[in-house]
Amino acid sequence: MLDPVKEFKEHMWPYEVDHRGAEEGGAAYFGKGKSFGYFTTTSGGWQLEGEPYTVGDGSEFQWFRSRIIGGRTNHYGRMSFRFSDYDFRPYDRDGLGTNWPISYDDIAPYYDKAEAFIGVAGTKEGIRSAPDGVFHEPPPPKAHEILIKKACERLAIPCISNRRAVITRELNGRPPCHYCGQCGRGCLTASNYASSQVQIFPAMKTGKLKIIDMAMVREVLTDANGKVTGVLYIDKRTREEKQLRCRVVVLAASACESARILLNSKSKHFPNGLANGSGVVGRFLMDTVGFGLSGQVPALEGLPHYDTDGYGGAHLYMPWWLWEKHDKIGFPRGYHIEIGGGYGMPGIGSFHRHARKYGYGQKLKEGVRQEYGTTVGFAGRGEMIPNDHSYCEIDPTVVDKWGIPVLRFHFKWTDYEWKQARHMERTFAEIIETMGGKVIGLSAAERESQGISVPGTIIHEVGTVRMGASPKTSAVNGFCQAHDAKNLFICDGGPFVSNPDKNPTLTINALTWRSCDYLAEEMKKGNV
Amino acid sequence: MSNTTEPLVQIGDVSRRDMLRTIALSVTVVAGQMKLEAAQHVHGRAQEEKKKSGTYKPKLFSEHEFQTLGRLAELIVPADSRSGSARDAGAPEFIDLLCSQNDELAATFTGGLSWLDAEMRQRYSATFVTARPEQQTAILDLLVEAGQLEQERKTKGETYEQSDHYKDFRRYGVHAPSDLGPGIVFFDWVRTMTVDAFYTSEIGIKDIDFRGNGSVSKYEVPKEVIDYAIKNSPFA
Repeated sequence: MLDPVKEFKEHMWPYEVDHRGAEEGGAAYFGKGKSFGYFTTTSGGWQLEGEPYTVGDGSEFQWFRSRIIGGRTNHYGRMSFRFSDYDFRPYDRDGLGTNWPISYDDIAPYYDKAEAFIGVAGTKEGIRSAPDGVFHEPPPPKAHEILIKKACERLAIPCISNRRAVITRELNGRPPCHYCGQCGRGCLTASNYASSQVQIFPAMKTGKLKIIDMAMVREVLTDANGKVTGVLYIDKRTREEKQLRCRVVVLAASACESARILLNSKSKHFPNGLANGSGVVGRFLMDTVGFGLSGQVPALEGLPHYDTDGYGGAHLYMPWWLWEKHDKIGFPRGYHIEIGGGYGMPGIGSFHRHARKYGYGQKLKEGVRQEYGTTVGFAGRGEMIPNDHSYCEIDPTVVDKWGIPVLRFHFKWTDYEWKQARHMERTFAEIIETMGGKVIGLSAAERESQGISVPGTIIHEVGTVRMGASPKTSAVNGFCQAHDAKNLFICDGGPFVSNPDKNPTLTINALTWRSCDYLAEEMKKGNV
Repeated sequence: MSNTTEPLVQIGDVSRRDMLRTIALSVTVVAGQMKLEAAQHVHGRAQEEKKKSGTYKPKLFSEHEFQTLGRLAELIVPADSRSGSARDAGAPEFIDLLCSQNDELAATFTGGLSWLDAEMRQRYSATFVTARPEQQTAILDLLVEAGQLEQERKTKGETYEQSDHYKDFRRYGVHAPSDLGPGIVFFDWVRTMTVDAFYTSEIGIKDIDFRGNGSVSKYEVPKEVIDYAIKNSPFA
């Protein structure tokens, strides 16, 4: 169970802990510190003790798992972008991938509901790649962002208010943002969205929700007729096997964990695993294409310092702008650009680069003063095309410490993604140079290793329980209901048919709301 | 200049955190009965965190080693008219604490400190702390310069293994690594941790004039900041 009051480190200064954030024995110096830093709120990581996963020969994949109520929404970036109308028809546009069985019009009312409920700050812009939503008023851009916007104007790249799940006026008893910029540490006032604080805790207050924590689900159970009857889980406290009988099972374990549960739910009726009559469970695994570049901007030197915390993350971003120019740019699908910069709270590692550059002594001290807050960074987040080499399956020989067979990942970026990443690099360099800055560039060797994100590390893995109209080529229907079992729903990133450059959480919220409405209706009708 | 951003509460950070805890309780437990402003009274009673007092006893290092780390800290980030040194900011204590919890790190530091004194004895017949200030900076200058050369050599791939001479034993010295290798590695560690200790301290955070970690009811960017940035940019 998560206790924000005890666990969140919001507003802590690094000197309030003796290790300053380097953690015991300086673990952070050896890459063994907490993921995303000591002060962030998450329980989990790329590797969990006793809960391994494996990676196939020639592949690279990293899987981030949170073991905390609310999962990864506790620490995520809170970027909340709607899919565009064209994002649901990718195959129609370029002959790649597969169309969704639903359209933008189907989901739009649920985007409205989701945004109104979780709270998203942004502005209406009328840009096709970034449909407008129900927004709170966003905070104004920071100084470096104003320069970035001006550079983008010269380059004809739209640069608009960011859309983050942070509220700027009171909403359902949640006070508005107090602009400390520390969303990743967990928000004590619940002014940002985390499913723990915004959905689960309020649901608990209704008295209708019972949470069984420390429960590791091994499989979904079915009866002799193939009807889902409950789940089987391991009580982590006692390592005992327990069963829970229920009318409906909704899996929301995260795309790959849900696929794992389904693949492990084998029975006479479902020899390939549950909801897997088509064989697609685990297939079409996608992450987001990531690439980052930073630059040092002389115009920001000597700037009077001010509070750049804001509402956490950047106040502006650049939605995809070349959706009609794919023939010209030579790769399909787009990306959006996220911005970094400003006077961040100093922490372990903030000035290592400066130390190596300036040596030591007064020169170092003055160098840090001069350069602090003068770099800007850009991160591209792009769409990959699902391919046959990117999937997860059950490892035939390995189980975790609960005895549950684990996942084995296979993953390959293709030329489509590499070309997109190089376009990102050129674009970011152009923006930096247009604002008079100097690119902190990559050497040829670095480009080979850092030229594109390591698969999985953007933590947008989706697609492994994909939806579709036909049970022959998909696991669930447009309402995330299993084709093979009417009382089984998958409500996470699993049902995604494609992975547009829009961070998935908002769409998971909207799809889930739509599924729940449908489920309630079906239960009323007696169909489920 | 952040007078345009109106502070919600003017309080110490520990008490601000207390206040937020109170709000959090209200949000997550009592369904948001308490307004942000209403929690202001909480800070009135809160007191500043008591400063740790007394002299520090090293957990791992000998008194001599600890003094050496202190001298290194005040050379790496010296005191000046604006702020104190990394020694003032607790760098030796920070390094001692972490080394006392990690044998690998401890060996890096005790070994490195011994190497440094041995080198100083050979050159100046003195330990690092007893040497004259110009002798101390002379060795650091040497380490910095050698460190940069080593970095360049590696970046360019100028190593014996990668050279055309790798089968010619007599030419082993062509791309030989610096004799100061152990010192380069040690100095990089001591500098890394000293710089981290300084800029994560109250002294260091003030030195770079970090203005954040506050609570404001409305976020604004001061106009003079925007004007300044534009004036100095290509968009003037």
